[in-house]
Parts: sequence; structure tokens; C-alpha cells
Amino acid sequence: MSNEKKNVGKMLLGTWDTKTVVGVAIGAALFAVLMNYGGIRVFTNTSLTTAMIVVPIVAGLFGPLPAALVAGLGNVLADLIGGWGFWFDWSIGNFVMGFFIGLLPLYGAKIEDGIFQVKHMIGYVICVLLGNVVGFGLVTPVLTVLFYSSELTITWAQAFTANLSNIIVQVVVGIPVLFLMAKRNAKKSNLSTED
Amino acid sequence: MDLNKRLFINIIPGNTFLDKLSGTTKVRLFFALVILLVATWDMRIILPALAVSIVGLVSIKPNKKLVLGLVGFVTLMNLFNLFLVWVVMPDSGANIVGASTLLFRFSERYVVTAETLWYFAVRFLKFMATFLISLTFIQAITPSEMAAGLYSVKIPYKVATMVSIAFRYIPEISRDFSDIKISMQARGMELDPKKTTLLERLKQNVVILVPLIIVSFDRVGNIANAMDLRGYGRGKTRTYYSEHEETPNDRKMKVVYLLLYVALIAVIIGRIFFPGEFEVWAPWI
Repeated sequence: MSNEKKNVGKMLLGTWDTKTVVGVAIGAALFAVLMNYGGIRVFTNTSLTTAMIVVPIVAGLFGPLPAALVAGLGNVLADLIGGWGFWFDWSIGNFVMGFFIGLLPLYGAKIEDGIFQVKHMIGYVICVLLGNVVGFGLVTPVLTVLFYSSELTITWAQAFTANLSNIIVQVVVGIPVLFLMAKRNAKKSNLSTED
Repeated sequence: MDLNKRLFINIIPGNTFLDKLSGTTKVRLFFALVILLVATWDMRIILPALAVSIVGLVSIKPNKKLVLGLVGFVTLMNLFNLFLVWVVMPDSGANIVGASTLLFRFSERYVVTAETLWYFAVRFLKFMATFLISLTFIQAITPSEMAAGLYSVKIPYKVATMVSIAFRYIPEISRDFSDIKISMQARGMELDPKKTTLLERLKQNVVILVPLIIVSFDRVGNIANAMDLRGYGRGKTRTYYSEHEETPNDRKMKVVYLLLYVALIAVIIGRIFFPGEFEVWAPWI
């Protein structure tokens, strides 16, 4: 039991070797660039952005905490180069969302071993919905009240559009990408034995 | 605006006053100013901060044409954002500043009040000041100074490395992004927003994304191996080559940022324990 607990803890944290550090860094840079240029504006500071697709990719490669860091850190960096001001409430909301999306191995999807089937896809969709609703429907508005109390009406409108556009991108583009990644890894490892 | 020119960072420090400060001083000063600007909606704090940011930006002698282009772009973007805020909440001044003095009326819902305009002015100047401070910071710091500075505020060094690598690779990735976009256009992909539908545009963005992700994550292995070969991640602590000893100028700026932190704590305590009835202060209320 304790061994299993340790495994879950390790799974949530991910292994913090140099490759993870660099992977998260590049992921965050990619997130920041795409947030600035790879999107279609829907509402103030909210767009149908392809940046959101970086999160499931990093989740598949490195795990939940790296995915969360990519989203949070990437958002801060995007704010730094974007010029629309810093919105730490949204960065933290993104962090929470990234963590939920990163929970892939929790329900048995192992991208590095090529395991990503229909039931994992359903799990992924549930995680995407949960992550967006908890991240932008709960965490961000609460923090908005704490940090910038006057902005709540805007935040609700933004949260609604952001949720909708993120879910569209993460589900419609995310599932095929994760599936392809798993398929690519599966080819490497599934050696068939000769009869 | 051209992406290559929009994102530019320094690898080699320059020789102006701000450039010569140590990474620690730069990062602490930046944090103090940015958090102060996030925490406040008070014109009496925002205006001096804006003045400081303009002085800071001019003092590092940036490329004038580039900076003017950027400032123009960000101004337009923020004005457009304000317009959208007005569409959603036409009378936002009433809740936020605390009165509505009617100036102009388009329809039952769409009105322009003096308080809304004041709130928008505060909001606009707040974001412009934040942007100019960020721009100055980006221009005055190198990636390894940034890592050193973040480490000095007790951020784990692996996270500090992460931020500095991400910062270092943002220009590279945006260059790849525009290269891929141009080569896709050369192959006949229509990217003009006026000529394509929303779904089509999303599809095209994904088409640009696939090679970009492959190219970017291909780098990870190379960089990680290079770092491992140099013994990265062996020790529990880390020192930075780019971090020099405190100069007299660093000591002077230390007084400045310590004062800023005192002001920041005062602002936050003021907002938590003595919240005014309305968020934004206006001289006539």
C-alpha cells in the first residue's frame, strides 16, 4: 500500500532530471509564443489559442506537475512579452488546469509505452473538462476577487469563452495528437516474437 | 508587426546604468515594480510608476524605431481591449469608481460616463506602465542573469533554470514559427483572416503547429545532454558565473527596491484591512 502511495506521489511530481527541466522550459516558451501569435481572438485577452495543445503534449511526455508548470509559467512569460499586463489569477488558473490535464497516467494512459485507448480518451476528456471548470471557473474567479476585485464581470465572461475555446482546442486537437504520440512510441516498443 | 523584431533579448549585457546592475538587483527591482502595479488601481501610484518606466526604457538606449513600433502596437491592442470591456460593461465606472456622470448616450444601455472614462484611463496607464517595465526588464537582462536573480529570491534553481531557458528560447521559437508560416504561405496556404472562415483558420494554425512542436521538442534532447555533460543538477545549491559582486550602484538600487517593498506592503495592507467603498480613486469623489 505504502509502495503504491509512493508511486502515485512520484507520478504526480514526475522525475526532475535535466530533460524534464529543459522540456518544461521549451514547453513554456512554446506556450508563450503561441499564446501571442498562434491564436484567433475571441474576446478581451481571450483567444482560441493553439497554445493549449502544448499542455497535453508535455503531460504525455513528462507528467502532471511539468504540465502544470508549462501552463502557469508559459502564461506569465506570455504576459511578459504580450503587453496586456500581468494576470496572475489566470496564470494560476492555467497551472491548475495543466495539472488536471497532466493526470494521464492516473487512469492508465501511458503515452511513453504507447497505451492510449478509447477509455483513456474518455478519461482525458473528463480531465480536460474538470481542469478547465476548476481552473477557470473556480480558482481564477476566486483569485480575481482577491487580487483585482473590480474585474469579476469581465473575468466571468472571459472564463466562459476561455473554457469553451480551450476545451475545443484540447479535445479536438489534443486527442489525435496524443493518439499519434502513443502510436509512435508503441511502434518502438512492441516487438512481436517469432513463432 | 514582424515577429523577429518583436521579440528580442540580449545575450550580452550592455553598458548603461541599468545593464550594469547585478541580476539580483534587476530581478528584485522588477518584481517590486510589477507586483506594485498589479496590486494597485490608484492613479497616484500608477503615474509615478509610468514615469519611472519611461525613464528606465530611455536610459537603456533601445532601438528607437523598434520600441516605438511596439508601443504603438500594444497601445492599439489595449485600446481595443478597453472597447470590448465597454461593450460588456458600459457603465463600469458606477461600480468601480462610484458614480455616473453622464457625458454621452448612444442608447438605453450604451452610455459614456466620466467615471468610466477615468477608470479606463487608470486601466490603460496601468497596463502601459507594466508593459514598459517588462520591456525595459527584457532589454536590460540576460538569461543567465535572470536565473541568478530568481535564485537569489529563493526560487529553486531548477525552476530558475527553467525560466531562463524558456526566456532564452522564446525568440528562437518565434523565429521558427514565422519561418514555418512563411513557407506554408509559399505553398499556397491562405492566412488572410478576411478570406478564411474561423474553422479554416484553426485548422491552419494546427498545420503550422505540428512542425513547430517537432522542431522545438527535438531541441530538448540536445540541450539536456549538453547540460548533463557539464554536470548540471549534481549539487543542491548553485552559483552563477554572470552574478558579480555588489557595486556601489547596486547598493543604491537596493535602497530603492527596499523602499518599494515597504510601499508594496503598505498598499496590500491598505487594501486588505482598509478597503474603500470603491476600487478606483478619482479626484472628484
